[in-house]
Amino acid sequence: MDTARPAQTPFDRSIVHSSRQFMLRYGVYVSLATLLVLALIFTPDLYKAQNLTLILRQAAQLGLVAIGQTLVLLVAGLDLSVGGVIVLTNVVIAEVSNGDNARLPLALAVALGLGALVGLANGLLVTRRNVPPFVATLGVLVFITGAQVAYTRGIPSGFVPNALNVVNQSVGPLPVSFLIWAGFTALFSFLLYLMPYGRRIYAVGSNREAARLSGLRVNRVLLSVYVLCSLMAVAAGIVLSGYVGYIDRYLGRGFDLDSIAAAVVGGTAFTGGRGGLFGTVAGVLIIQILSSMSLLLGLNVQVQFILKGLVIVAAVALYTMAARRA
Amino acid sequence: MTDTSPDTILEMRQIAKAFAGVQALKGVSFSCRAGQVHALVGENGAGKSTLMKILAGAYQPDSGEIIYKGRRYTSLSTREALDNGIRIIYQELNLLPYMTVAENIFLGREPRTGLGLIDTKKLYADAEAILQRLEMPLDVRQPVGELTVARQQMVEIAKALSQRADVIVMDEPSAILAGHELETLFSVVESLVRQGVAVIYISHRLDEVFRIANEVTVLKDGQVVGTHPIEALTRAQLIQMMVGRSLDEAFPHGQPRRGAPVLTVEGVTTAAVRDIHLTLHAGEIVGLAGLVGSGRTELARALFGADRLQSGTVWLNGEVVTLSSPAQAVDAGIALVPEDRKTQGLFMELPIRNNITLTVLDKLTRYGVIRRRAEAERVDQARRELAIAMASASAEVQYLSGGNQQKVVLSKWLARAPKVIILDEPTRGIDVGAKFEIYQLMRQLTEQGVAILMISSELTEILGMSDRILVMRDGRIVGELAREEATEERVMQLATTGSLLPATTELPGYTGSDA
Repeated sequence: MDTARPAQTPFDRSIVHSSRQFMLRYGVYVSLATLLVLALIFTPDLYKAQNLTLILRQAAQLGLVAIGQTLVLLVAGLDLSVGGVIVLTNVVIAEVSNGDNARLPLALAVALGLGALVGLANGLLVTRRNVPPFVATLGVLVFITGAQVAYTRGIPSGFVPNALNVVNQSVGPLPVSFLIWAGFTALFSFLLYLMPYGRRIYAVGSNREAARLSGLRVNRVLLSVYVLCSLMAVAAGIVLSGYVGYIDRYLGRGFDLDSIAAAVVGGTAFTGGRGGLFGTVAGVLIIQILSSMSLLLGLNVQVQFILKGLVIVAAVALYTMAARRA
Repeated sequence: MTDTSPDTILEMRQIAKAFAGVQALKGVSFSCRAGQVHALVGENGAGKSTLMKILAGAYQPDSGEIIYKGRRYTSLSTREALDNGIRIIYQELNLLPYMTVAENIFLGREPRTGLGLIDTKKLYADAEAILQRLEMPLDVRQPVGELTVARQQMVEIAKALSQRADVIVMDEPSAILAGHELETLFSVVESLVRQGVAVIYISHRLDEVFRIANEVTVLKDGQVVGTHPIEALTRAQLIQMMVGRSLDEAFPHGQPRRGAPVLTVEGVTTAAVRDIHLTLHAGEIVGLAGLVGSGRTELARALFGADRLQSGTVWLNGEVVTLSSPAQAVDAGIALVPEDRKTQGLFMELPIRNNITLTVLDKLTRYGVIRRRAEAERVDQARRELAIAMASASAEVQYLSGGNQQKVVLSKWLARAPKVIILDEPTRGIDVGAKFEIYQLMRQLTEQGVAILMISSELTEILGMSDRILVMRDGRIVGELAREEATEERVMQLATTGSLLPATTELPGYTGSDA
């Protein structure tokens, strides 16, 4: 009988559980700081200007994808198609512009349009057809990869216009790509933390049924989040195309799982409603610094993967433990 | 009443138990005999489940003693209860659908061969033996998912009885069964009794009690109203014992101020309700009573746009409104406080603040940005209006007590000043103090001209708060009672038979509760 349930004290118990709350909220920043100190001892070369710039550039590419991925995770979703969208963007830029700077705006518009379509497809599958996000976005990934190979007959051609080289330049000590990442992070933080839209994202992720019964237009929120995620993947694809400067049909490989890893290491829960963008920024930096340190230490690629895997599993294990007891 | 005849196997004496100040059991004495069925009946919250959980060792009593097979215990542990042959069969089935009957019965205790592998031969032979002993006509090799619910329940019972059992508690075993499946259950109970087992049978359905029980104990508000041999009672007497007016519960008084019609529903039909006609007036509280499954919650969901209307028209303040989504209902001025606040009303891991202001965010913005101060003021207002006890608005809502959580759900809607509020079990699982505060709030809202539709399984609440009572049965509204003419017996008659009968007519059964 429900009436017999022992009532909890009306006080804010989070005070009692403050250490766990601290872990949940700030653990990722502590980890990042620790990593930076470790680097000071083991790989001081990391702090060379050249290496720092490189880390920021690469972090920017992953960071852009991870922004969108974080939004999707916050609504208890998942987007496995971001890597495919990155490749798609790269191929579209090269095919449509064929290296002609004048045709770059058209190429970007096509890429953004296709990205929005991919997001729409993901979102519609999830909202209208109730397909689990994992399956929906995996299916869409396979579809766009296949469509792109069919279109290019497996041999993508064309060139990346050299105007995109702008992302490799620097403003003062900061790479342009990093500034783009910082700009988008600021924009989406504004959206997420200061506007009603952000509150709705958290509400939908925390409890979809309660959100619906509170009068929220849940499907609209979900759909918009998937579209935004795909558009951020296009943004990452543009920066990445400028970074490598050529067409490469394996370009997006790894970004799907890495972006999820960055968000999760940063404290965003798979179950939705918990986490945020600043944690993801720290998560991106951790993943990037870890891989740079491994390179500087001369570790094999295999070892890098093992390290990355360990960090992700450890982070998730810690969060789940803290969340369970909190 | 607790005569100690030689075959008394279990006696619970003066058991008391309190939870956070609420006295769930106030000195309950109860005994049962081997080879007999003892029915335990009473309204929701009467203390039946608490008493049985003490027997199972899930709760420790504050005082009193248990005498079981001649031994005295001040409390039992779950281990002691199990080892001594006390078994509880809960309503919910915990079976693995793709595994066979035998595999389910021996799940986790499978017989092993010398090599440590599962001894399949022995597994099926043992299962066969158990089913034969219980006289259950089941195929041990059939996957459980292919069985009817009644037969699945047999498997659950067989699982509980695969080891020695002397006392078996069945907690509303018939709740999940259709009428024709009851006989199966009864034959199982009868075969248990023949083998000398003591069966404690909890049910809301009186016809079952009269059919299989030897003795019946009625609990109300944590006390025993009486224990009688079943032959000594009539249905009318038993109902009287169960519902006898509660003096503990008080309801705030208010003059009904019935104003103009606000919500008019004509001929609404959905998958679960049929041909609903009703009118809610400003300033009145309309109680919606009925058994579980009678369509009360489904009607609320239909009026809130959460379930699709197949036909019918809804007017709000004289205008036809389309209710194809909750968002439309909310925009039209309808609010719903759902049945289960944890899964439908709250965002448990989000701050109290976010829960309270979610429905009014657009009113708190300037240039699209949420104004922190306006939001803090809104939260503060809610805290004062509803006396929500919280240390900080930033705390996650899951750390609030049930009563305070329910107030948060209510406050979410109050800021929107809805014209119609639908409350589905508004005081379920909350303590008496918070209950009274919610009743007071309901009165205040009606004074402001809000129309309230209140669904409740607690008859005292329905009778105490409603200006009018609508009773549902099988998806239809079968009757309306004015406050003056409403009695628990009349509401129950309508809910169970669909019409008001002369007092002498037999009632087919009673259920006054949730699942």
